Amino acid sequence: MRILLLTALSAHLASSVLVVGTFFMLLLAGPSRAPTARRWEGAMVVWGRLLLLVALGSGIVWLLVRTALFEGRAQAALEPRAVLHAVLDTWPGLIWLARHGILVILAAFLAIRSDLTERRDWIAARVEALALGALALALMSASSHAAAISPGTALTVAIDACHLLGTGVWLGGLVALGALLRAASRDADADDRAHAVITARRFSRVALVAMLALMGSGVLNALAQVENIAALVGTPHGRLLLAKVAVLVPILGLAAVNRRRLLPALPGPEAMRRLVAFVGVEAMLALVLLVLAAAMTLTTPARHAEPVWPLPVRLSLDTPLDGSATRWRALLASQLAVLGAVALIASFFSLRRRAPLLAGALALAAVAAAVGLPPFVVDAYPTTYRRPLRTYHATSIASGSAIYWGQCAACHHGTPADLRSASTSRRHAGELFWLVSHGRPERGMPAFENRLEEAQRWDVINFIRALGTAAGSKSLGAQVQLDGAWLIAPDFTISVGPLAPGALRDYRGRRMVLLVLYTLPGSRARISELARKYNLLSTLGVEIIAVPMQTSADAIRELGASPPVLFPVVTDGNAAIIATYGMFASGPHAELLIDRQGYVRAIWRDDTGEIQVQVERLNEEKSVPPFPDDHVH
Amino acid sequence: MRVWQVAVVLNLTFAVGLGLGYAGWGRRADALDREFEAARAQVERLERERQACAAGGRAGEQQWDGRGVVRAIYPHLVVVTHEEIRGLLPARTTGFPAASPQLGDSVRVGDPVRFSLRGTLIDDAALVTIERW
Ligand code: HEC
Repeated sequence: MRILLLTALSAHLASSVLVVGTFFMLLLAGPSRAPTARRWEGAMVVWGRLLLLVALGSGIVWLLVRTALFEGRAQAALEPRAVLHAVLDTWPGLIWLARHGILVILAAFLAIRSDLTERRDWIAARVEALALGALALALMSASSHAAAISPGTALTVAIDACHLLGTGVWLGGLVALGALLRAASRDADADDRAHAVITARRFSRVALVAMLALMGSGVLNALAQVENIAALVGTPHGRLLLAKVAVLVPILGLAAVNRRRLLPALPGPEAMRRLVAFVGVEAMLALVLLVLAAAMTLTTPARHAEPVWPLPVRLSLDTPLDGSATRWRALLASQLAVLGAVALIASFFSLRRRAPLLAGALALAAVAAAVGLPPFVVDAYPTTYRRPLRTYHATSIASGSAIYWGQCAACHHGTPADLRSASTSRRHAGELFWLVSHGRPERGMPAFENRLEEAQRWDVINFIRALGTAAGSKSLGAQVQLDGAWLIAPDFTISVGPLAPGALRDYRGRRMVLLVLYTLPGSRARISELARKYNLLSTLGVEIIAVPMQTSADAIRELGASPPVLFPVVTDGNAAIIATYGMFASGPHAELLIDRQGYVRAIWRDDTGEIQVQVERLNEEKSVPPFPDDHVH
Repeated sequence: MRVWQVAVVLNLTFAVGLGLGYAGWGRRADALDREFEAARAQVERLERERQACAAGGRAGEQQWDGRGVVRAIYPHLVVVTHEEIRGLLPARTTGFPAASPQLGDSVRVGDPVRFSLRGTLIDDAALVTIERW
């Protein structure tokens, strides 16, 4: 079924693309009276009709197979109701309908036998065909992966449409040009050849522009769909993209030879024949590209797939540059790289020594990489770039904490294998996941794959992260350090009595939060003071959230009626909050100031300072850090 | 007919078809959306007025129901941390004027409560009933 879908889609894509290029070429070549050119034009129109039939036929097959896959049964492909449902009630179905409607109109338009001797008629006929074909092709982007990206849907769709049209002009034009050159090289007089040569030169210029547009829009597309290296090499979608690039390289090589060597040698018969052959090879490779592109539209976009890292190593830029040997290496490598860059630039300007200079530059770059990169190479595992199953949330950290103290602390707390070490903090979450799941039996670390559920393993990883940052949080005190946002405040649920719960992250971008962890009766005086200041702090953009250290259903009542305490008091799930934030600030009473972006910026342990000053400092802070990710890295 | 004329007619048909399609369905769909929203707001409002009327309210008054936790009680004001009150307020802590001074007697600070408000607007909505939930 999948194979059939891929075949139909590839055929449809190829024929739609070729139609656009064919009519584009006809327009580019212009009307001609030369007999070979006339014959070529006639052949191209027939070819265009044929392509349209293929496009319509494969389009219908594609729709039927899609319906069957959509309904989950093969017979559905032949049930009118199911097909109608797939066409009329889904967005891709509607786009399909619009595109095929346009293709039918185009087919009807081409079917009219018409007299094109007048220039105006000729132009109208060709432009109309090109416009309809291009519209049908460009509409494809409206139901592609690009249309699923938001925000910025319009932009990504426009880029995708640009990519499709670029392909149409370039590849379809290439095939048509090949046919023209072939005809001209076989049986043409001088006039005909001149026409073919002029057309080839024109196309060469257009193709350069189309290729640049293709590569530009392709890169933008890839950035939107693939997002990072791990997704590029670790997902089927990303690997198909790599395959596309691999096929593109010889195409560019051929195109360069055509442009530099063969075009200037035209209309020599030898050059003409060579050009025909090369254009043919280029077009074949381009069709492979199209099949790969069709396959890409059928795979999950890389940004939604779980990447599986294929290599045992990766580069890590946050490796510390300690040790003089490492520093020397880095210095040497950077100097070599600069030399290589100089050689590369020189190779562009020197015409005679280009090849040796280029080779030298490459060699220098290789040596620089060999010298400089090894310190940055670290171990990697298939799950290194896996996205955590659980968000960085107090409940996850709290259950991770229970697992850690029960199963890991004996070997890991205050021992040489302490998980608070910098080297462990530098690891990706996915890497920790691999180490916890599979262990390192030969070095004494057991595998927990069968002892802990996947979610539990992610919980314990969230906890390890929190534990690592807790060690650093000692440096955070009562003074807000400007531009020093680094301690991510784990999210938590705020539930007041039986009301619908909220979350810390609801305040992101809107208000600061003063998190007050309190114990009665010791904290009573401070709570009363905060209650009196609530109005002022609220005006300054602060919400106060109070969390009792001891769970109590009557927490609100215990705070007393006067002065009235009007800020949220968490009555449910406070144990998780205390377990998490207690790592940053223990004690019977503690306060943490969380900025609008979601970072802890000041911590008061036992002492209760003047928070209004710190709030004003935060209000005056100019640079705003990005919102922290919901998952650990 | 000449080919260029065919092409022009074809394109005109496209343009006109697109325009008519939008004028006919697109704008109608937009208008229907707006009408639907207005009708729903009206129905919700009428429902609140009916409730107010049934409970002895004056003409033009509406009634809103909400759930919350009592945070402070004064003779003429009850402060409640409440969930969203549809058609009136988002979830937050609000002080509502009490319709009668005894209203707050039946509840204590920290109680989860159901309550109803009556009035024509948020400015004059007053607490008419409040009871433990
Ligand atoms: C029997 C003792 C033992 C227990 C129990 C144990 N570990 Fe380990 N673990 C080790 C040892 C020893 C190493 C060091 C392995 C090495 O040197 O590569 C290690 C290494 C690790 C590492 C890699 C650290 C790094 O940065 O290289 C992680 C992560 C880890 N353990 C997590 C856990 C977790 C989570 C638990 C509890 C669920 C746990 N371990 C339970 C002994 C243990």
